[in-house]
Formats: sequence, C-alpha cells, structure tokens
Amino acid sequence: MAVPFKQIVVYVDGSESSLTAIMYAINLAKEHDANLCAVYVVNTKALSDLVKAGIFVAVERDEYQRDLVLDADRYLNHAQRLAQQKAVEIETVKLEGAAHVLVKQLLKEREADLLVLGGITDIRSRREELASETDRMLRTAPCPVLVVKDDDDIWFEFEA
Amino acid sequence: MNVLDVLEKDLVKVPLKSSDKRGVIVELVRTLTDARGYSEEQFEEILDAILARESLGSTGIGGGIAIPHAKSDVVSKVTMVLGISRLPIDFGSPDDEMSRIFFLVLAPSQQASAHVELLASIARSCTSKIFRRLLEQARDSEEVIHLFME
Repeated sequence: MAVPFKQIVVYVDGSESSLTAIMYAINLAKEHDANLCAVYVVNTKALSDLVKAGIFVAVERDEYQRDLVLDADRYLNHAQRLAQQKAVEIETVKLEGAAHVLVKQLLKEREADLLVLGGITDIRSRREELASETDRMLRTAPCPVLVVKDDDDIWFEFEA
Repeated sequence: MNVLDVLEKDLVKVPLKSSDKRGVIVELVRTLTDARGYSEEQFEEILDAILARESLGSTGIGGGIAIPHAKSDVVSKVTMVLGISRLPIDFGSPDDEMSRIFFLVLAPSQQASAHVELLASIARSCTSKIFRRLLEQARDSEEVIHLFME
C-alpha cells in the first residue's frame, strides 16, 4: 500500500506522553498527507464515580468539570499550535464521558485507519492492570494503533 | 495517573500519632511540609485548603478510608501523603465506621485531570476489604509500598 494512512486520530489527555504523541501524529499526517484529528475526552464518568464513592460533593464535581473542560481546551489549543508549526491541518474534538468508549466510537465514525497514543502504563501492580484508559484503547481500537514512546528528539524538533 | 505514580516512601507515615480528625490532617500536611522543605506559610496554605474542602462535607468515604484533598499551587505536581493510624479516628464517614487509612491528595489548580485520575485510582485500590486490612496492619512505609506494588 503506497499511502497506508489517510485518517489519523491522536488521543490527548494532557500527559507528557500524549503531547509527544501529538507531535508524532503531526509528522505522520504531513508525511502521508492524511487527515488528522486530535481528541480529548473530559472524563465525566470518573467525576460521577467520585461522587458515588463519596469522595466528591456535588458542588466539587461541578467545579472540577469546569476545570477539566478548561484542561481540554488548553491541550487541544496546544495541539493546534503544534500543527500550525508544521503547516498541518488538524481538527480538534472535545467529548465528555468514558474515554475508551468514546474514542472507539469516534474511530468507527471517522473510519480512522490509525490511532496514535502516548505511552501505555508500565505494569507495576496487578491492581492497576488494565485500569488506564490508554491501555483500554490499545486493546479495543477497531484500527491499527501506534504507541509512541518518550522521545526527546521530537520535542527538540518542535522547539527548534 | 495512579497511586503508584505518586507513592513515595518519605510521604508515607506509619503509624500516625494523632487521635482526632484535625490532628490527623495536620500530621499529614506536616509530613509533606517536612519532606519537601516547605515554609510555615506554605504549611498553613495547604492546611487551610484541606480544611476548607473538609467544611463542604467529610472526605471519610467509609470502609475505614478517608481522602482529604484540595487544590493547592504550593505543590508543582499531584502529590499524595498516605498515613495509617493504629487508633480508629472518627472522620464522619457515611457508614459510621472509624477511619484508619488516610490519603491526603493535593494538586495544582491546572492539573484537574491528573487530580481526578489519582482520586479514582485510590478508590479502585481500596475496594478490596482484604487489601484494606493488610494496609491497616502494615508495620512501616516499606511494607505499605510493597502492598501497593503486589
């Protein structure tokens, strides 16, 4: 296949590794002349779980939900700035709910042919195994997945 | 972000010496302040933030667990102090059970996602009654860390 990727989706969660993933995805999109979409999911499911567990009171949930939306805007704007640097078009999508479920749905809707993720977690404890959203996306995505490892070179490239 | 990302030996206090809710909170904040070399002003700022959150409703969640938490820009990243008390402490939990395990969580105001993820991770980690019993019986910080690593 001469041009394997035409619809690339990169998952952004604000972690350093997801920022590295954005940079990789931008370079890949440029290389392959592919459409690029960055998605951030405001984890309202986690907020509801925290209220159910009695950790958050309702007023706190509302405050954190606003904070999470601001986080989402900040990181998606950052993705746009990085894409502009490389003259790559990027669409940003902000969703609310359970991240791995919504990303799987988006991948299907967009007929994405590649999902780019930041590093998945090291397995240090069986208690935390499979709890991370990126791990779940890796396992449930309906398309190929590229897991980007930490790489200083790409940060230098974008800082230059 | 999960418990193992923030669990540090010098931020685990076993056993706590305080015998009431406010004392436990002060002791946890002091543990952090001493470990990180914060000033008395920073100690007060963190304590005020935790107590202000506590005034909205107790962070005792039942099952012998309490998770006092707040936003604070004194810390530069999401931070957790874990304390275990030999004495049962009345933290005002909804199940009326006394608390022995305390997770104090602080996060900078601009790290809401990581803050929420860590709180969810703590809740998941402590769903097992057996795990909670083992934590309560831990002799020192090394044993606590070992339990989380299993």
